[in-house]
Amino acid sequence: MRAFVVALTCCMAVTPATALAQSSDADALRRELQELRRQHEEAQKTIDALGERLKRLESAPPPATAAPPPSPGQTRSDPAAQTGPPSTTDLLRPRQPFGLSQQRGAGQLLFDMGVAADFVANFTQHNVQKAEGGTFAGQENTFFPRELELSLFGQIDPFASGLVRIEAGQSRRGGDIDVSLAEGFLTLLALPYGTQAKLGTMRNRFGWSNNVHEHDLPWVDRPDVYRVFLGDEGLRESGVEATWVPDFLPFYLEVLGGLFNGDNETAFGRGVLTHPLVTARVRAFFELSDTQALQVGVSLANGETGERRASRLVGYDVKYKFRPDGWLHPLLTLGSEGIYSMRRTARDVDIDQDGVIDFSEKSHRDSFGWYGWAEVQPWRRWGFGARYDSTQYPDAPGWQWAVEPYVSFFPSEFLRFRLAYKHTDRQQRFDPSGNGGSARIVDELLFQATFILGAHPAHPF
Amino acid sequence: MSHRVGTVILVAMAIASGTVPASEAARKLRVVATIPDLKSLTEAVGGELVEVDSLTRGTQNFHEAEVRPSMMLKLRRADAVIENGLDLDAWADVAIEGSNNPNLMRGARGRIEISRGIELLEVPTSRVDRSMGDVHPRGNPHFSLDPGLAPIITQNILDGLARIAPENRAAFEQNRKAFLAQLDQRMAEWTKLMEPVKGGKVVVYHPDMIYFLTRFGLAQVGMIEDRPGIPPSPQHLVSLIRVMKEDKIKVVLVEPWNDIKLANRVAEEAGAKAFVFASSVGAVKGAENYLGAIDYNIRTLAKALQ
Repeated sequence: MRAFVVALTCCMAVTPATALAQSSDADALRRELQELRRQHEEAQKTIDALGERLKRLESAPPPATAAPPPSPGQTRSDPAAQTGPPSTTDLLRPRQPFGLSQQRGAGQLLFDMGVAADFVANFTQHNVQKAEGGTFAGQENTFFPRELELSLFGQIDPFASGLVRIEAGQSRRGGDIDVSLAEGFLTLLALPYGTQAKLGTMRNRFGWSNNVHEHDLPWVDRPDVYRVFLGDEGLRESGVEATWVPDFLPFYLEVLGGLFNGDNETAFGRGVLTHPLVTARVRAFFELSDTQALQVGVSLANGETGERRASRLVGYDVKYKFRPDGWLHPLLTLGSEGIYSMRRTARDVDIDQDGVIDFSEKSHRDSFGWYGWAEVQPWRRWGFGARYDSTQYPDAPGWQWAVEPYVSFFPSEFLRFRLAYKHTDRQQRFDPSGNGGSARIVDELLFQATFILGAHPAHPF
Repeated sequence: MSHRVGTVILVAMAIASGTVPASEAARKLRVVATIPDLKSLTEAVGGELVEVDSLTRGTQNFHEAEVRPSMMLKLRRADAVIENGLDLDAWADVAIEGSNNPNLMRGARGRIEISRGIELLEVPTSRVDRSMGDVHPRGNPHFSLDPGLAPIITQNILDGLARIAPENRAAFEQNRKAFLAQLDQRMAEWTKLMEPVKGGKVVVYHPDMIYFLTRFGLAQVGMIEDRPGIPPSPQHLVSLIRVMKEDKIKVVLVEPWNDIKLANRVAEEAGAKAFVFASSVGAVKGAENYLGAIDYNIRTLAKALQ
C-alpha cells in the first residue's frame, strides 16, 4: 500500500514536469519553424531578385568585349561587328552607342579619371632671383604647385576616344593658381589604311619630349632647347594631327602630319588657319634585341610669327633603352634631341651711324640647340642621371649651356621624389626682369614631388 | 615602257595598302596575344589556321610591361588581339590605340577578352584603394595557368576567332576538343601526383598562383610582398618568417622575374626552400607551352611538398 502511494506521488510529480517539457519542446519547434519559414521567404525573395536581374542582363546587349557569334541575319547596321574598317555609310548612320547613357547604372562613369600632381621647390642665388633668370622664372627660391592635372579619358563610342585635361598651377611667386585647358581632343580610331586622326587642343608630337607632360618627364625641368625655342610649356596647339602606320615594313614607322593655328608665341604666333602651322614627323623604332631598343625621329614645324615672318623648326630625337631580361625597369636609358631654328627677321640699319634707324631690312637668323641625357636605374626604387644642354638663342646672339645631375626615388609606381642640381652658364649678362640683377651664371638646387591618383595610362617607350 | 611603269606602280600601291588579293585569300588569321599563356592556348584552338604572336615574354612581369612601338607594329598587322583582362594587361590599350588598327579597338570584333565566365578569386568585398597595393578591384587576374579554367578560356578564344572567321568554327571546335582531351588525360595524372601533398601550405612572393593552388587543394598562407606590387618592409618579413616557422612552411614560390635572392633569404631564415615556378608559359626551361608550364609547376610542387 505504501509502495502504491509512493508510486502515485511520483507519477503526479513527473506528469506536470513531462507536460512542461513537452510544451517547451513544442515552443522551441514552433520558433524554429517560424525561423525556417522566415529564412525560406528571404531565400525566395533573393531567388526572385536574382531571376529579375538575370532577365535584365539577358535582355541587355552583350558587353563590347564579348560580342556573340554573328547570326545569319546580321546586317551591316552594326559597323563595329564587321571585320574590315567601317565604310563612310557606316560612319554616317546613327548607331547603338547613343543608348549607352541609359544603360549605365547609378554612380557608374563610362570613362576613366586621374589626377597627377607635381610640386617643385628651387633654391638659387639672390641675383638670379632678382633678375628672374632661373629655370622657373619668377618662382626662384619658392616651393610651388607647378602642375595639378585632372584627366578625363575614355571611349566616346566604338569609333573614337576622347581626352580632356584640366591643369592648375602657379606661374608667378605668390600669384594666384591659374586653371586652364591643357589638352582636349578626340581621336578617330576607325579610319582605314592604318590611319588615325586627332582633333582638338594637344601637345604636339614634335620630337620625343614635347609630347610628355611635366610630371612624366625624366627630369625636373623641360630641356633648355625646348624652353628657349618654344617657351616654358613647349609646343601645344589647336588643330588636327593625322598619323599613318604602314604594315609592310620590317620595323615600326609612324608618319605624322598636322595643321594648327600657330598660337605658340615664342616660335610662331600668327594664330590663323589661313597661314597655318604645318607639322610633320617620322618616327622609327628598332628592336635591337629582347633587351635593347632604339627609337629615332625627325620632326618639322613650319609657320609664321606674329610679325608675319616665316619661322621653321627642324628637330631630331633619338632614344635608346637597355632593360635586362626579367627586369621591371630599364637599367640604362640614353637620349638626345635637337632643334634647328630658321627664322626670317628684320634687321635695323643705321647707315650714317647717327643713332637713328634709317630702315629695316629683311634678314634671317639660324640657331641650334640640343641636349643629351643618360639615366641608370640599378634598383627599382632609385634612378640616377644627368643631362647636358647647349642652346643658342633664336632671336638674339649668344648661347648658354647647362649640366643637371639628378637622383630619383620611387616609393611606388604612383609616387616619386627627385632632387637635382643645375648649373647654367650664359655667354652674356641676362636680366629678363630689368631689375638690375644678372643671371649669367646660375646654380640651382631643384626638388620635385609627384604623385598620381586614379587612372593613368601606360607610357609608351 | 609606260605600261610597265604603270604596272610597277600599281603593284607597289597594292603592296603598300596591304591588299594583294591572292595572298589575302590564302593567309592564316593573324592573332596577337598579350601574354604567352594565351598565345599557347590560341595556338591549341586555332591550329594550322592561325599565326599567333605574343606581346610579352614569359620572363616578364605582365603588370609592368613596357609599351614598345614594336608591339604596335604586331598589332597593326593583326586580325585579332587576345587579352587577359582584369587590368593585368591594361597597358595593351595604349599599344592597341597606337597600332592604328580599327579592327582591334574597343568594341571591334577583333578584340577578344578571355576573362568572361571565369569564377574569380580574391574579389575585394570592401572599399579598395591603392593603400592596399596593386589591388585588382574585379578580382585576381592570374587565372590563365589554372588547368581547370582552360575549358572556359579556350571557349572564349574559340568564340572570338569564330567571329572573325565563322567558316572555320568547326575546325576550331575540333582543335579545342582535341586539346581538352589531352588536358583531361594530363589532369588525371596531375591530380594523382598532387594527391599525397593535398592540404600543403606554401608562401608566395606575389599572389599569382592562387587559382592553381586552390585547384589542387593547397593553401597560400603568406606573401613576401607586403601588399601586391609593394616591396616588403623588414617588419613584414620578420612577421612572415615567424609565421612560417610556427606553421612549419617548407616552400616559398617565386616568379623568375621577382627578387629570387630575397625569396631565398626568407626561405633560409624560416628553414624552408624557395622554388622558381613557371609564372607563365616560357618563364622557365621546360615550360615552353601551356601543358608544359602546368606540368612543370605540378612536378615542382609535388616534389617540394613531399
